[in-house]
Amino acid sequence: MIASNQTFIIAAYAVTWVVILAYLVRLVRKGGRARAEYERAVQHQREERQS
Amino acid sequence: MPASTPSNDPGPAPPPRTSLWLGLVSVSALVAAQTHAILTSPPDADMGHLQKIMYVHVPAAWMTFISFFVVLVFSVRYLWRRRENDDLLAASAAEVGATFNGLTLMLGMIWGRPAWGVWWAWDARLTSTLVLFLIFVGYLALRAFVDDTDQRARWSAAVGVIGAINVPIVYMSVTWWRTLHQPPSSPATLDAAYTLGLRLNAIALLLVLIYFIRKRYEIARLERATEHAAEAVAMGGS
Repeated sequence: MIASNQTFIIAAYAVTWVVILAYLVRLVRKGGRARAEYERAVQHQREERQS
Repeated sequence: MPASTPSNDPGPAPPPRTSLWLGLVSVSALVAAQTHAILTSPPDADMGHLQKIMYVHVPAAWMTFISFFVVLVFSVRYLWRRRENDDLLAASAAEVGATFNGLTLMLGMIWGRPAWGVWWAWDARLTSTLVLFLIFVGYLALRAFVDDTDQRARWSAAVGVIGAINVPIVYMSVTWWRTLHQPPSSPATLDAAYTLGLRLNAIALLLVLIYFIRKRYEIARLERATEHAAEAVAMGGS
């Protein structure tokens, strides 16, 4: 049963890259938000101590 | 910088940024490894070019196993030492592992349709892999719904250990039971024409895995440090 099955091969690699890139983008965005929130929280903490 | 602020309870230090270079290098390595495998591997005698799906499906399954092994190690460490960072690292590996587990299932279905004539069969390998996926989806749901940090860490460590115990069952399922799924593919069981491609793709995906877990762990620590800072303000104001 030698067949090219190109559609399935392309689908497999496409699914792989969609999952990897989607997760990568999610991590980068979530990381940026998390760091911004951390810096805001620390700034707020500092202001509270000074007041 | 927060480290210079005098305080009785400074909370956990912010984690260092995970290098974007590691992400770029790992993704580039994966592109190179896949290109090499696609261009150089000959068609298989039985499956023809469909064999090329192996270079993404098998490494994805291995990364699932490695992630859940990390969950096991750091869950046990958390239960033993009760250190928060062990819990956060286990949770980070669980999320990344569940992602690779889902990918493995999808790739298996794409391979199964032309190879077996069906998208899905309730055989031992496929079913045990699905059970593994559902356990770790449950692990992540549990973490999302339990607010108390100690309780969340203890319960998820227990689920993480139980889930990881399923990994050897998944791996051995094709040996222990008669399955539609073929025996495990590894450099030891493959023709020499395919081993280099499989090794390169596994190493490249391992770099991606390391980047993902490090980045997710960095985020988890940042979120926890933010909670600590907010708690410190609330305590000071009360």
